Amino acid sequence: MASATAAERTGEPISVLILEDDAPTRWRIADALSHHGEFDVAEAATLAEARQRLAESDPDVLLTDLQLPDGNGMELIREVRQRNRTTEIMVISILGDEQSVISAILLGANGYLLKDAFPTDIADTVRDLLRGHSPISASIARFIVRRTQERPGRAGHSDLDTARLTPREIDILWGIAKGFSYADIADHLGISRQTVPGYIKTIYRKLEVNTRGEAVFEALQQGLIRF
Amino acid sequence: MVAPIPLPMPKNRWIAGYLLVQAVIALLCVILFYRPDLPLPPHEYRLTHAEVSTDAKTWTQAQLPYFRPRDIPPDTPVLLRTEFAYPSADAEKAWSIFIPRFTSGVEIVVNGAVILDSRRMRSVGRIDRNVAVIAPIPLALLHDGANELVVRLHLWGPLTGYLDAPYAGPDSELRQAYGGRAFLFATLPLALAIWQAMVGMILGLIFFARPHERAYGWLAAAMAVGTVQHFIPMPASALLRGLLGASGSLECALAVHFAAHLTGLRIRPWGVFLFLPAALVLLTALLGPAELLPTIYGLFGLPSIGLFVSMVAVILGRAAVARRDWSLAYLGSTLTVVAVFWVHDAMTIMDALPGERILLGRLSYSTVLIAIGLGLTWRFVQALNQADDFTARLVEQVREAEKKLRASFAREEEQSRKEALAAERTRLMRDLHDGLGGQLVSIVAMAEQTGGTKIGDAARAALKDLRLVIDAMEEIDGDLMLVLGSWRERMAAQLRAHDIALSWQVLKPEGLPIFPGLRPWHVIQIVRLLDEAVTNAIKHSGAGTLKVVIDSVAGDDGSPGGRITIEDDGRGFCAQEASSDPGHRLPGGRGLLNMKKRAEFCGATLDIASGGNGTRVDLWLPASAGLAAPGEASFPHG
Repeated sequence: MASATAAERTGEPISVLILEDDAPTRWRIADALSHHGEFDVAEAATLAEARQRLAESDPDVLLTDLQLPDGNGMELIREVRQRNRTTEIMVISILGDEQSVISAILLGANGYLLKDAFPTDIADTVRDLLRGHSPISASIARFIVRRTQERPGRAGHSDLDTARLTPREIDILWGIAKGFSYADIADHLGISRQTVPGYIKTIYRKLEVNTRGEAVFEALQQGLIRF
Repeated sequence: MVAPIPLPMPKNRWIAGYLLVQAVIALLCVILFYRPDLPLPPHEYRLTHAEVSTDAKTWTQAQLPYFRPRDIPPDTPVLLRTEFAYPSADAEKAWSIFIPRFTSGVEIVVNGAVILDSRRMRSVGRIDRNVAVIAPIPLALLHDGANELVVRLHLWGPLTGYLDAPYAGPDSELRQAYGGRAFLFATLPLALAIWQAMVGMILGLIFFARPHERAYGWLAAAMAVGTVQHFIPMPASALLRGLLGASGSLECALAVHFAAHLTGLRIRPWGVFLFLPAALVLLTALLGPAELLPTIYGLFGLPSIGLFVSMVAVILGRAAVARRDWSLAYLGSTLTVVAVFWVHDAMTIMDALPGERILLGRLSYSTVLIAIGLGLTWRFVQALNQADDFTARLVEQVREAEKKLRASFAREEEQSRKEALAAERTRLMRDLHDGLGGQLVSIVAMAEQTGGTKIGDAARAALKDLRLVIDAMEEIDGDLMLVLGSWRERMAAQLRAHDIALSWQVLKPEGLPIFPGLRPWHVIQIVRLLDEAVTNAIKHSGAGTLKVVIDSVAGDDGSPGGRITIEDDGRGFCAQEASSDPGHRLPGGRGLLNMKKRAEFCGATLDIASGGNGTRVDLWLPASAGLAAPGEASFPHG
């Protein structure tokens, strides 16, 4: 967020790196962002290409697919996150399914983007992200709160550790899962509407795992993650 | 109001109360039995004077009843001579001699002929039983006028000689008194002995089946001794005499062991010494000279009975006070009765009490033993009842636990079913994600680039439906709001692309009620129905705003339910117009029918109203939605 505000202040374009192996998809996302002069869009189709780009400098925003010809996008998420905390990371997902989105969140991603999202929505989502609004879908919220309800110890250890979430944060997730707007949620809980996005960002940060633990990363990468 | 908890009485008050009760019991015993009103014949037949001789030569005057210390050899009887008048006018009536009480044996001689020898009669020799004798006088022996009666009094056993005043008179006058005494002192003890045998047998059986119930064993042994001694005749052989002499002490020693075991008092190792007096009496009878036995019995046998009875009374009384145990208090009280009668008997033997020489100790002891046995049996039955209650409670608890276990199994099963479904969903999602999903996204991208809007829209619709199917596979436990959350996101994106504003209103904080009957296949139908309503609004209405209102409301019949309303501000449609225009698929025809079918499938009600100000689709779901609806496969697709 710090870098975003810095970019806004200086008026410099926001650097975005798109890592997506399917060319038409990559182009339409790039087009959706390039339309507006505010974004400086770079593209990569493979992990190797992306690493080359990142070697020069970290972008403000990284949009990455997971299934890549030469590896998994999660490796890149981890590398960037270990290097800095300022780059906003989003997963490009086809279905917005929990398997890929939650894995990315655990590694430090801040949200996800649907591959078929309308061009205006794509730009809006990136802009929201830079303003500190981590997008969260109803199904992801539902998935997380479902885990908080499970009896501890029943299914053994879960990599999705919801124990650190406060009751308020869980209430907010419930509201999102049930389709309430941020305004409605804020009204129900008696909090300011502007603070809801902040809560969501906190939730993401709390769910992030310590990726220095190689075992967890291996599990995440291989889809062996225990939710 | 809370009932006050009764505080236990202070110990001192318990002791005082217990002793007071024992004193009252003793007093009652004295009042009731001090001089039992024993039946006697009419006084006119009583013979009150006699001449006494030991050698039939020198006679001295004596009053009846007659007391004689043991100052003569055992085989020498004391002769008591008296006279009675027999009126010959009474010839048709049988006459008898009746002696209410004597110790220890009598021969009745009328006019020189022996008509009764008590030593030949079993059980009459048992001096502890106060047996009376009656002897009919053969008519031939009687003279008119004065007749001579000689009673030969034999002395044996621990007691001094005693002869109550005999009665000589018509048998009809004497028989009633004899019958009354025979009942009290012969029939009743026999009945008690048999009763004691039976109770003893029950206790013995209990002990046999449950050897750890030692108290029952000891009491059964005491009862066995009590029963056996009843049938020992007197006078008898040295062995039997010894056994009889030892029986009282032995019974009481066993009773001490019983009390100790019942109250948990540690009695070993000195408990074995309790049997010493009985052993001493028995050994004396077997090995010592015959004259020694009464002395040893008097010195050890008799006092040990009193000592042991007191010990039992104290042991039970102490335990009753210490534990506030009413059943022990009851047992202790019965011992007080025995102790009172033991004192009575001791005083009687020492001739300290006036009147007839009646011994009541044995009778009271038998009665009390039976009372204890009954008390114990009652305790045992109570314990059985408790065990039954306990078992019943246990059975109930086991049943409860089983029920819980079964419920938990069912939950577990349900859980694993859900987990299997989730795993299947994950697998399917990955397949779709990698295959179909990626291709559809490519189509969308390529269509956008080549301007193929319709192809793009179709591919996007396919993607949307794909997401819906995957979404609906997740178990929502009847919480439709969870599905509407995802639906809102998909639908909002669609509306944004067509510049239609969305007004999303949830009127109740909880949104919709829970619909326990809704399964994934119902959920898909509901979401498709809502999708069709939104798609119709987007494609045909030209609306600027779409309003979705979600409310929890009761139905027309008052049953709980929820309503989802989709309302646009477009131009509406007319059903006739729509069906007359087959090329333009307005929602009036098949689409509308399809929506109704979907609602019906879920047990919901659909209302569509359309006019110049827009279209309003009302979906009302009763809380029972899906419960009575047909199964998964039966929805007619079309």
